Amino acid sequence: MSFDLSLIVETVPKMLAGVGLTFQLLGLSAFLGLILAIVLLLMRISGKWYLDWPAQLYIYVFRGTPILVQIFIIYYGFPQLEFIRESVLWPIFRDPFGCAVVALSLNTGAYVSEILRGGVLGVDRGVLEAGEALGLSTTQRFIYLTTPIATRLALPAYGNDIISLLKSTALASTITLMDMTGIARTIVAQTYAPYEIFISLAIIYMILTFFLQKFISLIEAYLGRYTKRES
Amino acid sequence: MKSLTKLICAAMFVIGVPASAETLRVGMECTYAPFNYRTSSGDLVGYDVDVAKGVAEIIGADLEFVCQQWDGMIPALLANKFDLIVASMSITESRLEKIDFSSPYRDSVGRLVGKSGQDMNLFDPSGNPIPENFSGLRIGLERASTYESWFNAKLPNANVVLYDGSEPLYLDLVNGRVDAIMTNPMKAHLRFLAKEEGSGFEFISPAISEVEFFGIGVGIGLRQGQPELKARLDSAIKKLINTGKLTEYALKYFPFPIHNEEWGDG
Repeated sequence: MSFDLSLIVETVPKMLAGVGLTFQLLGLSAFLGLILAIVLLLMRISGKWYLDWPAQLYIYVFRGTPILVQIFIIYYGFPQLEFIRESVLWPIFRDPFGCAVVALSLNTGAYVSEILRGGVLGVDRGVLEAGEALGLSTTQRFIYLTTPIATRLALPAYGNDIISLLKSTALASTITLMDMTGIARTIVAQTYAPYEIFISLAIIYMILTFFLQKFISLIEAYLGRYTKRES
Repeated sequence: MKSLTKLICAAMFVIGVPASAETLRVGMECTYAPFNYRTSSGDLVGYDVDVAKGVAEIIGADLEFVCQQWDGMIPALLANKFDLIVASMSITESRLEKIDFSSPYRDSVGRLVGKSGQDMNLFDPSGNPIPENFSGLRIGLERASTYESWFNAKLPNANVVLYDGSEPLYLDLVNGRVDAIMTNPMKAHLRFLAKEEGSGFEFISPAISEVEFFGIGVGIGLRQGQPELKARLDSAIKKLINTGKLTEYALKYFPFPIHNEEWGDG
């Protein structure tokens, strides 16, 4: 097997043209997914069964099925339904980008809500009792005590999910989107050189992950600045 | 050293290497009706399958079919996942840089399909595309197909959407995600236009057959450096043409033969 270095030099800039789309997918899905996750979290910890159970079911369904299958159901399945094609949502589902963002957001929302719940459950009871003794209401305790501590506790796992989401965006290439993976697959199909192209693509993702990881650990360090420990 | 050679000879004699034990693994999509696809009972059938079986019978080889997605077909052949491509693959210059082809066994053309009754005026009377009239249209194509090369060369500014298989093309044409698709007219007719879901759609272009893009036709792909195998495939295809077998295969699926009789000459 020959390894064509000039091909890499030639094709990497082409693949980088898709980095914008990759980050649009990542940014939008992470944002919408986080909002969804917070809603699901509030439903889960509300203590009311009619809020808790639907949230649990939702999380079970979206964590229990592959993201690729979810993307296919939304992209290929939904348009088969007449009422979706005639609804106001059709412009979103007609567009492969809209389908990808919806699928990624719904999926990551389920995971992130469980990550956040872990953070909330990790908050020391004593702190909340102290808040109660000081006369803070339940809402105040949640906003001023639970939220900051839970955020700090959940951040490492949340960062992990964001990195995983970055890689999930590659699945958008299966529904015609020309993100970095979509461009790479097209180049491979034209040049028949899978090793060079896919290895370059893998390295690009690794570099992006490196920066994302650095960014997340900066936030972690900032939020944890008062609780730094020796080790 | 001598004894080692003797040992090997003896071993070969014992094991035996009968000529008919040659097994050729054939790569195809298995989803490209009516050329290679599975029936509801799971049998692999189609024109490509018939050709592969016909050739195998003439050259005296056993067949083993391997299903492979289109965009990975040539890499898989090169990676020795199978020995032959019999998957309606057109013979083109760029493909010939990587692999060899037998002589053709089917002609190769492309045609656009879109909503009927819209006079989009995409082609002038001599059959050349009018680029202005393509603006604003979303055209669905299979990734790395000859249709994509044709669009890149003739209509580089067209809004092209690339798909990994032919089935999603029709789905998204019906769903309205693309305005037109370019594909094989024989397949489009059988799979789509002649069916209920295809009512309301029609061919919106003449048959496009420029040899520089679509090649001289569809051939059997094989790895380079196998002149002997290529010669056997070529003569087998000629024999299929001259005995009328190829016409017979075509008439199972179409009302007309889909090869050029001249290919059987000489």
